[in-house]
Amino acid sequence: MNALLDIQDLTVEYDRHRVLDGVSLAVRAGEILGIIGETGSGKTTLARAVAGLAPVRGGRIAFDGAELTALRGRALRAWRRTGALQYIFQDPLRALDPQHTVAAAVGEGLAVAGGRRPGEIAEQVAAALTRVGLDPALASRRPGEISGGQRQRVLLARALAVGPRLLLCDEPVSALDASNRNHVLRLLAGLRNTAGVSVVVITHDLSSLAGIADRVAVLYGGRLVEHGPIQDVLTAPRHPYTALLAASSPSVRREHPVPAARLRGTGDGMTHPGGCVYAVRCPFATAECATAPELSSVDGDRAVACHHAGTWRARLGAGAGDLAEVPA
Amino acid sequence: MRRLALAALAVVALLAVAGGLLAPHDPLAQDPDLALHAPTWAHPFGTDYLGRDVFSRLLAGTGTTVAAAVESVGVGLLLGVVPGLASLWLGRGVEWVLLRAVDALMTLPFIVFAVAVTGILGNGLTQAMIAIGMLFAPLFFRVTRAAGLALTRAQYVEAAELFGASRSRILRTHVWGKVLPTVAVTAAQATGGALLAVSSLSFLGIGVQPPAPTWGGVLASDLGFLAQQPWAPVIPAALIALTVAALNTLADDRGTLRVAR
Amino acid sequence: MLRVEDLHLTVGGDLEAVRQVSLTVGRGESLGLVGESGSGKTLTCRAVLGVLPPGVAVSRGRIALGDTDLTALDRRGWDRVRGNRIAAVFQDPASYLNPSLTVGRQLAEQLRLKRGLPRGETRAAAVALLEAMGIRRAPAVFDQYPHELSGGMLQRTLIAIAVAGRPDLLVADEATTALDPAVQAEVLDLLRQLREERGLALLLVSHDLAVVAEVCDRVAVFYAGEIVEHGPTDEVIANPRHPYTEALLRVASLGDWRRRDLEVIPGRPPELGAFSTGCRFAERCAHFTERCGTPVPLSTVDGRTVRCHRAAELALVGA
Repeated sequence: MNALLDIQDLTVEYDRHRVLDGVSLAVRAGEILGIIGETGSGKTTLARAVAGLAPVRGGRIAFDGAELTALRGRALRAWRRTGALQYIFQDPLRALDPQHTVAAAVGEGLAVAGGRRPGEIAEQVAAALTRVGLDPALASRRPGEISGGQRQRVLLARALAVGPRLLLCDEPVSALDASNRNHVLRLLAGLRNTAGVSVVVITHDLSSLAGIADRVAVLYGGRLVEHGPIQDVLTAPRHPYTALLAASSPSVRREHPVPAARLRGTGDGMTHPGGCVYAVRCPFATAECATAPELSSVDGDRAVACHHAGTWRARLGAGAGDLAEVPA
Repeated sequence: MRRLALAALAVVALLAVAGGLLAPHDPLAQDPDLALHAPTWAHPFGTDYLGRDVFSRLLAGTGTTVAAAVESVGVGLLLGVVPGLASLWLGRGVEWVLLRAVDALMTLPFIVFAVAVTGILGNGLTQAMIAIGMLFAPLFFRVTRAAGLALTRAQYVEAAELFGASRSRILRTHVWGKVLPTVAVTAAQATGGALLAVSSLSFLGIGVQPPAPTWGGVLASDLGFLAQQPWAPVIPAALIALTVAALNTLADDRGTLRVAR
Repeated sequence: MLRVEDLHLTVGGDLEAVRQVSLTVGRGESLGLVGESGSGKTLTCRAVLGVLPPGVAVSRGRIALGDTDLTALDRRGWDRVRGNRIAAVFQDPASYLNPSLTVGRQLAEQLRLKRGLPRGETRAAAVALLEAMGIRRAPAVFDQYPHELSGGMLQRTLIAIAVAGRPDLLVADEATTALDPAVQAEVLDLLRQLREERGLALLLVSHDLAVVAEVCDRVAVFYAGEIVEHGPTDEVIANPRHPYTEALLRVASLGDWRRRDLEVIPGRPPELGAFSTGCRFAERCAHFTERCGTPVPLSTVDGRTVRCHRAAELALVGA
């Protein structure tokens, strides 16, 4: 399948601190990819790097075949003005200029791109607001005068106005209640379905993510530890960390096929520079984990980076008490 | 408050243009018999040590005073705000050079610098005001930089960059509106300082030459005769203070901010 | 043990933000308050803690902890209750700790104040308490400053400080909302464990029904300042009696990974001051009838309290 966004061996460092380490990932045209992982896993950095907001130290990012990491200055601005790739910030209150009206915010991309009369921009702003389910009458308000859910949709409208082919959404729903969360995710799914827009969503909420996403990528400690079709990955995780995330997801039914407690390590595991990033927390870590596992394909469309991808589940049957005593 | 401030400034502006014509007496005419006289109908603000009519001197001096203050603040704005913004957006090299230049400028003693500048450029009001303006520049530079620094990392500025917005567009749409209020308040305050600076330089014979009237000049001469007329400095001081207060009120006013935007 | 009876809270003297709230929490029991922001759940729990925001006051009703009437307490009375009988943890643990003191010192201080331990013994007791909260390498953590700890560790430390005075009731207001999912699950496990091992009663406030379901025996669903449904969690979830509960269940996390059309609750809750005299959920309700414009009394259906005219007749879908 052809990839719209192709990330190869991406490494990002802030002040010599490696935040993202050799991540390779593709986003296909018209798909929704979820990215999950904890604070500090590098998921936001990954999205920011693609948008050109993080210091890339190695690797390449290609959008529809065009190399992005080499773009600078005028060429970078020209590429950005195409609007093909849009990054949606996590906190709409910070991402919107408090002095600008909703109309100015949503129309900003169009105004920057140029070549449109003010009347055209106003029309497109109204259309974008309608598309995200907002009343175009909100256009004259400022960010401080609308609700959190509305602000989030203003951010979305602002990205949609420029006609993107790929949306990168950084935790678009974590500040919202369940109903508003579903509303925003539904909008994203609708965009994919009607306009063929590819979407990357970073979120904590696995259950609603599974409702709309096609694939999921799991990051831990700056590395990609697992990716594949979301239903498969969450139902039968191959990486112990993915399994922990899935088991930790709260459920109104309180049904957890595997209790999260049995997937938690003692935290006293070994730390090996250059070893598996998850080993220190992993209840299944062995001496082998002192070397970093490569991301390798399993089941065709899936990939996992774990030495014990095929065997840890069998040891789970031994019971939580035994698991803690597996010699490192 | 806003209306009051605007009215006060309108009066000052009117006096600046037509003050000399409105003066009831010749501001330079001396009358030794009337020296240091208390207010009368003929001399509502009294007379100074040479028997000159203080009211007329204040009216006639408005134009020079305001022109001088505006000139120096204008120079300060130009030399402070533009480099202030440049230091934030033109890279580390430019930033370093500008910061060092400002540090150097701030170490210069005020009077010595003014004497040096007028020594080089020739003595005159404009030259003296350029000197004062240059000394205001670090203030505007710091204020602009402080107001703009947080904005360089603001997410909405990043977001504008992601749309491919140029630096000048970002400065215009996102930065200027937030820096302007601070700069405006500082400019109002600096104008007050400039009003006083005009007088202290007049003292040294720099800038405005002694017989020509200015507000600061009147204040300075009154201060020399406190023993005889302890109330006299209140009049020019009040004029300066009211003008500065009007400027500050306007600078702080939210309506002004909206208009400025 | 905790008994809230007919509580009414007003904002600015006349706007009624919380109306007719009654609930009880027994020893070792856990009650969850769930609802959208502005539904009154947080105000109710702040009333229980005696920390209502300025302008908000109890206009009617009674809050009692054991024999103590909390609504009648003065400041000194509260000092005896807070920390000793009621303790609380909130969403942002870092803001409740002094950044310039080690977390151990702050915990030791609490142990000295609330348990009267002599200085020589506080360190050992504090380390033991940190360990009991599931903190590994507790002696090292004792000497760390708040900024050196992760959000999950800070929340555990704060829970340790909260339970240092051996309170009967712990109030947790969105205490796990800002945490990473795996850490959230750990902290929820800790709360469950504290309940089982120490008989601690729990009042858990969350906008996430799934979080409440994970921990609480009983749940009270808040909407626009009122409790609309209140009963045993399992039953409320399997067989909701109020249409709002049903709607919440439809949008909540089910803990499965089906591909589906995500549901939303259409409309927005009414603003404070614009509450109708009838059912406050009526304008968003799929089961609206004429009757819904008239005041709705609380009724008891299937062993739970419901505020809906049609509670007995509607066949609602659970999870």
